[in-house]
Amino acid sequence: MTPEHGARAVAEADPATFQSSPPTSLAGLASLATTASSWIATVDHKRIGILYGVTAFAFFLIGGLEALIIRLQLAGPHRAVVSAERFNELFTMHGTTMVFLAIMPFSSAFFNYLVPLLIGARDVAFPRLNALSYWIFLFGGLFLNASFLVGAAPDGGWFGYTSLTLRQFSPGLNIDFWMLSLQILGASSIMAGVNFIVTILNMRAPGMTLMRMPVFVWMTLTVQFLIVLAFPPITVGLIFLTFDRFFGTHFYDVLAGGDLHLWQHLFWIFGHPEVYILILPAFGIVSEVLPTFARKPLFGAPVVIYSGILIGFFGFGVWSHHMFAAGMGPVADAAFAIATMLIAIPTGVKIFNWLATLWGGQLRGTVALHYAIGLIALFTIGGLSGVMHASPPVDLQQTDTYFVVAHFHYVLIGGSLFGLLAGAFYWWPKITGRLLDERWGRLQFWLMFVGFNLTFFPQHYLGAIGMPRRIYTYGPATGWAFWNLVSTIGAFGIGLSILVFAILAVRSLISGPIAPADPWDGRTLEWRTSSPPPVHNFDVIPPVYGRDTFWREKHGDSRGRRPPPLPPVADPHGIHLPAPSFWPIVAAAGVVIGGIGALTHLWVVFAGVAILLIGAWAFALEHHGNPAHADQTGLLGVDHRKLAMWVFIGSECLLFGTLIATYLAYKGRSVIGPHPHEILNIPLTTISTFDLLMSSLLMVLALAAVQRGDRVQARLWLLGTAIFGAIFLGFQAWEFTEFVHEGLTLQQNLFGSTFFVLTGFHGGHVTLGVALLLTLWILDLRGKLSVADAPKVEIVGLYWHFVDVVWIVIFTVVYLIP
Amino acid sequence: MSEHAPHAGAGAAGHEHASVRTYVRVALVLTLVTAMEVGVIYIRQLSPIVVPLLLAMSIAKFALVAMFFMHLRYDGRALTAVFVGPLLIAAGLAVALMTLTGAFLVFGR
Repeated sequence: MTPEHGARAVAEADPATFQSSPPTSLAGLASLATTASSWIATVDHKRIGILYGVTAFAFFLIGGLEALIIRLQLAGPHRAVVSAERFNELFTMHGTTMVFLAIMPFSSAFFNYLVPLLIGARDVAFPRLNALSYWIFLFGGLFLNASFLVGAAPDGGWFGYTSLTLRQFSPGLNIDFWMLSLQILGASSIMAGVNFIVTILNMRAPGMTLMRMPVFVWMTLTVQFLIVLAFPPITVGLIFLTFDRFFGTHFYDVLAGGDLHLWQHLFWIFGHPEVYILILPAFGIVSEVLPTFARKPLFGAPVVIYSGILIGFFGFGVWSHHMFAAGMGPVADAAFAIATMLIAIPTGVKIFNWLATLWGGQLRGTVALHYAIGLIALFTIGGLSGVMHASPPVDLQQTDTYFVVAHFHYVLIGGSLFGLLAGAFYWWPKITGRLLDERWGRLQFWLMFVGFNLTFFPQHYLGAIGMPRRIYTYGPATGWAFWNLVSTIGAFGIGLSILVFAILAVRSLISGPIAPADPWDGRTLEWRTSSPPPVHNFDVIPPVYGRDTFWREKHGDSRGRRPPPLPPVADPHGIHLPAPSFWPIVAAAGVVIGGIGALTHLWVVFAGVAILLIGAWAFALEHHGNPAHADQTGLLGVDHRKLAMWVFIGSECLLFGTLIATYLAYKGRSVIGPHPHEILNIPLTTISTFDLLMSSLLMVLALAAVQRGDRVQARLWLLGTAIFGAIFLGFQAWEFTEFVHEGLTLQQNLFGSTFFVLTGFHGGHVTLGVALLLTLWILDLRGKLSVADAPKVEIVGLYWHFVDVVWIVIFTVVYLIP
Repeated sequence: MSEHAPHAGAGAAGHEHASVRTYVRVALVLTLVTAMEVGVIYIRQLSPIVVPLLLAMSIAKFALVAMFFMHLRYDGRALTAVFVGPLLIAAGLAVALMTLTGAFLVFGR
């Protein structure tokens, strides 16, 4: 480790960062500024994890406050704590905040802090991208909540059903805030997803095979795949909504032939996997907590892993059970009911495996174990009511009642939040270097447990006797008053327990006992290093003997046999730590300024885009030519960047798949012309298709030239590819212009809306590809593109070829199929 | 121009990509299939099978680019899995979405 690294290591790992007393002098202020600056520029996964955790907790408090106001309003009949309009805003913001700004980022805090430690890595694959994900998330969350400041908080529900969210019915900025911030937050999630997939697949310590990974890492991997595959459909749905609201397209315009069910499908194709995005991390945490405090291996660990993967996979095939009341027809209802019931099987398997882990174990009643067992009990209740909804006739009785509210809170609080709190108590000593007070912690648990059940169990009954969701008041004759009052009292119990948790946390940070490296006699690698870990995580990459490797090292296997000591693992790259960077926050600022511009003025959009481009450009070239970044080959024998590009391309398959499916679903539904056969110019498009196909040939020639160090040919083919791409764009611009002259615009009919958005997004991708190619070409002209940069050319090439294959599909389904 | 381009990004696996000659052949096949795609839509006798024909040719072109230009034929299976898995999910969701919104009129409403 170089002296600079060492100095930074000390600076970044210093736990005094969150324990220091307020400055009292100019020197103190300077020190504070330096500390703040080091956090702003940090790319250390542990610090970013802490940032996620603190931010998520802050948003959780806001979401919780919204919930308490909702409960105060509903505590009795005809209460007037808030108006009906304010109530709509509160339940919309409560749902959106808890899902996107609290539970998801709480999970991200654990992913960030722990995954590299659990797999024996020094950081994530792309530390600056990790920072960018965080800053975009923070700014997206602030942007969403800024809606309160301008008196236009979103009020269309966290599901944002059209046509309620169309301009005609929601003319204010409320829905604009909601849809733009969700797109910003989605970008953050997809970046983080790609990052963690590459980290887990490619950066495990030698010896850590996939089946030796801790279950939490497996659940993280499953969740990241869900994120990169489930977010594109909702992104497309939001793009359509944005176009309908801002540009007058007809995606959700029934009079123009649009289908309101399209939004529901796109939302729930995302929304149901999102449930697993929220719950699987908690399952992973519980799968780590139970074996530690039962002092037994996780019962049937491979089955728990397969069950998690199955839950994730099935999660893509059950979305329409949210739409039984929408009238899909008996065949679709039956298909989704069966799929939904099937998903209960792997979930049940997990429950039984956890119980079997506890059975016969030497249980230690820590707070973490309390929460883990609480999850098993409460999630089972939520799961059982979920199976009830899987039956369409039953669901028709329960839908839009408080029974459903009770169900999903048992899943998301009883499941997700209890799991995350188990993780918070379990890993707190590792993260902070301090112990939490276990006695007060148990009190906090029971407050939460009782408060939670008091709040939500009565809601089953309220739903069953007919209380609808989302009503802001009710009359005394309904018979709902008593249980609503009980529910409100319980909600304040939850609030009190969270207050106790916050006090415990602050007390621990200020004066808690110092935590040893391994306070729980843990089983996994994070307990092998100090609490908190040094900036480089491990002085030597730890040996991996099998599942629960650290436990085996300490106690041997089930027969007490200890593994033979392995020689230290040579770190081929030495201890290389990424340098801090300000560019992630700059690029993230560009994104949110663009969002602000969309609500204010076009010039602000341009300013945001300019800042984003400057940030992205500097971000991309910050370490260009740095030999420490040249070789990024990982455990799979693949460059991190190349693997990341493939994962991103996988995500893009869902984006373009959804766009193309929408085009086809709406084909022939335009109520007025012009129609495709009247206007599409097949000979012209054939030429542009040929041009794009040949650009792919030039791209592979460019890569081959760079790989063999032939700079003249590399330059020639790179420029050639860019020119062919530009020619394709020229054809597209000419085609668009012709169509507009012939009367086909975005707003003309459903065909115009779907055609221009689909081909326009493809054109946007081509434009980005041309920009990337020209960047490489300029680098080559300046003598800065060497053989060592071939992976960069290769990933740009992959992106370019993907754009090409997407066009192959578009050419067939849009232009050729009659 | 060398016949074989070493794979700089393959690292320890040391895979080799196709030769330049292979790339050119693939490009020629892509051109030919594109011409055939455009041709079949003007042949009236083929109209009953024109949609499956076009889809088959489109899939063939897609596969050629993915296998040769994107090097999936030469790289490790993990990359193929990372691409093909999402591709299949995307295709499945697209078919389901079209079916549920009535494009195929299989289930009806």
